[in-house]
Amino acid sequence: MSRRGLLGASLGAALLGLPGCGAGNGSASAGTDHLSLWYWKGSLSDKLLATARRAVPGVPGLKVKGSQIPDGDIDSKVRTSLAARAYVPDLTVVNSDNLATFFPDENEFLDLRTLGAESVRDQYLDWKWKGCFAPSGRMIGFPLDAGPTALYYRRDLFRRAGLPDEPQAVAEEVSTWEKYLAAGRALRKGPGKPYLVSNVGNVFQQVLLQSPKQFVDADNRFIGDQAHVKRAWDLSVEILRQGLSARIVDGTPDYNAAMGGGRIASMTTAVWAINGLKDTAPKTSGAWRLTTMPDGPANYGGSYVTLTRYCRDPEGAFAFVKWLLGPANQLKSYQEMALFPTTPAAYADPAMHRPDPFFGGQRPIDVFGPAAQKAPVVYFSPYEETANTPFFQELTNVEALGKKPERAWRDAVNTAETTLTRLGVS
Amino acid sequence: MATVADPAEAGTPAADERRPVRRSRATAPGGRRRHGPPLLAISPFYVLFAVFGAFPVVFSLYLSFQDWDGIGDMRFVGFKQYGWLLEDSVFWHSVLNTFEIWFLSTVPMLFLALVLAFLLHSQVRFTGAYRVAYFIPNVTSMVAMTVVFGSVFAQTGLANSALRMVGMDGVGWLSSEWGIKVSLSIMIIWRWVGYNALIFLAGLQAIPTEHFEAARVDGANSWQTLFRVVLPQLRPVVLFAAVTSTINGLQIFTESQVLFQSTDVGTTGGPGQEGMTIVLYLWQKAFKDHQFGYGAAMGWLLFAIIAVFTLINWRLVSGSDREDRAGIRSLLRRKGARNGR
Repeated sequence: MSRRGLLGASLGAALLGLPGCGAGNGSASAGTDHLSLWYWKGSLSDKLLATARRAVPGVPGLKVKGSQIPDGDIDSKVRTSLAARAYVPDLTVVNSDNLATFFPDENEFLDLRTLGAESVRDQYLDWKWKGCFAPSGRMIGFPLDAGPTALYYRRDLFRRAGLPDEPQAVAEEVSTWEKYLAAGRALRKGPGKPYLVSNVGNVFQQVLLQSPKQFVDADNRFIGDQAHVKRAWDLSVEILRQGLSARIVDGTPDYNAAMGGGRIASMTTAVWAINGLKDTAPKTSGAWRLTTMPDGPANYGGSYVTLTRYCRDPEGAFAFVKWLLGPANQLKSYQEMALFPTTPAAYADPAMHRPDPFFGGQRPIDVFGPAAQKAPVVYFSPYEETANTPFFQELTNVEALGKKPERAWRDAVNTAETTLTRLGVS
Repeated sequence: MATVADPAEAGTPAADERRPVRRSRATAPGGRRRHGPPLLAISPFYVLFAVFGAFPVVFSLYLSFQDWDGIGDMRFVGFKQYGWLLEDSVFWHSVLNTFEIWFLSTVPMLFLALVLAFLLHSQVRFTGAYRVAYFIPNVTSMVAMTVVFGSVFAQTGLANSALRMVGMDGVGWLSSEWGIKVSLSIMIIWRWVGYNALIFLAGLQAIPTEHFEAARVDGANSWQTLFRVVLPQLRPVVLFAAVTSTINGLQIFTESQVLFQSTDVGTTGGPGQEGMTIVLYLWQKAFKDHQFGYGAAMGWLLFAIIAVFTLINWRLVSGSDREDRAGIRSLLRRKGARNGR
């Protein structure tokens, strides 16, 4: 081909390509024989998606194709496609902290009640179901997985410090956060002087999640300066003051070294942390145990599936969701991907009661099952992350740089208030 | 859009009549027609630039006056957006951090690059291998490298182990104000020093060898050659390196984003947000908090800051000889005035 011909051909191709944007009805699957679903690696069962790619069982003629989007990008990508009204997926997975960020634009998503969602309501955890609703009453998410929390602790370190070491006894010994701190002091006095926690961020997070209120209430008012946040803050500061925190950031090489080396005796976090812990500290296998968190359980993480308003086949998509997230398949997802079911019926299944050698043969479900059912109903506002970032940041400043706690608290409240005022939160 | 109409015009009798004339004259009256095909040939660039370059720039300016979460309706807020930004203490903190990191990295980096280039320029074996080696950091995935640096600077990492071996205490590289900044600067130096060394090397090789020979004959040592012969002639190259390093330095992002990436919220930029740079804050506001207007306003302020500093750089490094002489003369005159009366 001559150079001119090549130029002409490429220009022609570019011009032909342009009208492609915005063609059809805006769905990414327009003109194909399947519905499109966006998810990030690990958020859905690969085996079930492989089945749905060929045909969704029980729904004749329906195929759903999942596309993996990197974890950190999916929110921006969904937002971008919605803004452009083009190449929007029919279905998408949304992280539990982020569902609320879509509340101001809830009309971009279908109201699942109109598709008959109420018919399966009694199969799902009550608090999780309530989390699917925007404040206006529209149901824009469907329960995917849950993130019940527990106290993970090192049985050997607890025993050596002269503390009770069986899960039931530990649960009683550290039934409140104050008692948890007392156990921490005993650990520091014991041999090896292990720390209670790697850093205080997780404690701050869990105490907050035990409260139904967070930083902004349903009337769009800032409540981050109130008692429920101050309590979480004061507890965290107290852990630092008493020297019970190793003051290292999770996920760093220092953290891996401390966990592997038995410098950290416990952590308060969700069920999904199990796999990370097994990877981080494989040598500590058998030494860990699980028990209820001080002051009771909470939910940390977990996801939802949403249907966008560009969905080509809402009935079919909802039938797929009901199949994918029904009790039977949630059980399969748990076994395959460690996605914790939001359908309590699955908890009774013998398959969920396998002992885990990493926890010395303990059955994780015995702790996480009841925790999942007792988690409080928490209200998240669209501005939660904007509001809580200064608090986590200032806590890090106190922890790592020794900033004065009173000063840090004032700075956190001020920063959050200024930022939120701009966004219309009073 | 003239390019679209041109092919049709080209076939008209008038065009055919004039053809011989046009061929002989550089600027024919029918220039549009004559330039049509070349313009058409280069138009893909301009079309693509308009769509992917110019439009986003103009749109971001428009966006900087709006409050927008990316999907819903835009709310016009006008210059209030910039007002909020100017009152935002985190923003100013990130500006200060960026300049501190820029200074800590650029000054040693340019100096090291110059020394490296000078060494490469003298006769050494395996010059080609050295050039490749110096350039590799620049094309290595920054994310991968940051992960490696993260373990080097860890409390129990390589850097602290080395310090302890010589009997010094470990440093909180990633948990103290200056530790964070020095760590980030070292990463930036590592990435850019080879690149700038190659730029300097190209400049060095353009200097006639007679100058070096003359210096040698006159008995100048290496340092004298570097500062008296090489540097003055390298001025344009140094200016280029300084300006590009300033632009790069004010846009530091990957290093601090990956270094302090963590599942916990609130560790953006590390403890005390000492690693929070302007672009990292822009990214956090726009893509994590979905305040696209605020992010756009920050982008434009960054543009203004870079423009000012490029200008200052230009003045500092490229002051022409005439200006220098004038400056010295006025200095002498003032001195003389003071001494004389």
